[in-house]
Amino acid sequence: MNHPHDVVELRIPRKPEYVGVARLAVSGIASRMDFSYDEVEDIKLAVGEACTSVIHETAPEHVALPIVVRCESAPDEIRIDVVNIRPAPRKTPPREAADAPISQLLMEVLMDEVEVRENEDGSAAVRMVKRVSRDEA
Amino acid sequence: MTTTATETPTQQQEWDGMDTTQLFRELRAATTPERQERIRDQLILMHGNLVRYLARKFANRGEPLEDLIQVGTIGLINAVDRFEPDRHIKFSTYAVPTIIGEIRRYFRDKGWNLKVPRRLKELNLAANRAIEQLSQEMGRSPTYAEIAESVGATEEEISEALEMGSAYHAVSLDTELSDDTESAKSALLDLVGETDESFRRVELYAQLKDAIQTLPERERNIVHMRFFKEMSQTEVAKKLGISQMHVSRLQQKALNQLKEVMMRSE
Repeated sequence: MNHPHDVVELRIPRKPEYVGVARLAVSGIASRMDFSYDEVEDIKLAVGEACTSVIHETAPEHVALPIVVRCESAPDEIRIDVVNIRPAPRKTPPREAADAPISQLLMEVLMDEVEVRENEDGSAAVRMVKRVSRDEA
Repeated sequence: MTTTATETPTQQQEWDGMDTTQLFRELRAATTPERQERIRDQLILMHGNLVRYLARKFANRGEPLEDLIQVGTIGLINAVDRFEPDRHIKFSTYAVPTIIGEIRRYFRDKGWNLKVPRRLKELNLAANRAIEQLSQEMGRSPTYAEIAESVGATEEEISEALEMGSAYHAVSLDTELSDDTESAKSALLDLVGETDESFRRVELYAQLKDAIQTLPERERNIVHMRFFKEMSQTEVAKKLGISQMHVSRLQQKALNQLKEVMMRSE
């Protein structure tokens, strides 16, 4: 049903009540792929965690900026970027891998790949990949 | 969890002030099994909130939260037993994947993936029932918030259940129903019912009866004479002492009203 690399991009306000909208959108996309029910739930949970942690990290002067959720569905995997748009990076240095926040640990368990990166323009993004696995559940 | 006489309340309090890292050091340094047990218990109890926090995130998948907390706690116990404090990672970093792993294994072992997701199906049914009931009660279509409140779910869950609940796992109508006996193979299509026309007609009559009751008396009489006694418009006009044109207008008005009432009750 999916053409290779269909892209859906969503901009949501930084408010907890819109996290559900992102979860629903992603659920709609993932459930049209070959994911099982539990896998779709895992993806939703990971996206919810990513959006929620962006909201938590938002400085008061940045509340008006949207969160961008970008979903790319390839034939065998879904790639999701949750982008925290910021004009400048946070002052605090990036966290050590050893004490990654629980939300990130959750994402890492739920998804096949999780990559957190700080972009040149100051924004931060987490990229998550979940592969369609037919045999191993 | 056992308590022994060798540990005094004072020692218990001594541990309360310690953080996880210190406790793990104490645990590895403990020389008696009793002491090891007490420290292990303390570590497990200290992280009960972590298990509950994580279990709650899986609570919308149709399994009771208590069960998830229980299997999550097994994960926590395993993590406490296997954690090596010298590896320079925080205990929670080690424990979170172990706890979630146990919770997810629980879902997997239930063979959940193979069944139709029960939660969505049930939610879909419940939501549809609520829509019907609320529409009748309120005389208008309910909002998602109202449906959610009536069903006891979140608006997000309702949206999802209504969107996908009925068609989450599409099954071909030609799917052969598994049957071990020698009997003839049947396909799902064979079991799909069709609209029973006579039932439909009974329903229509019942609706029509109610609808006719809503007409003003004169219109009701006209409908009765025209369609039940099969009188002509002229005959009806003579009987009521009004013009045939007037009968025609009143009849049209009555029929429109019936149509409208019946459309609404569909």
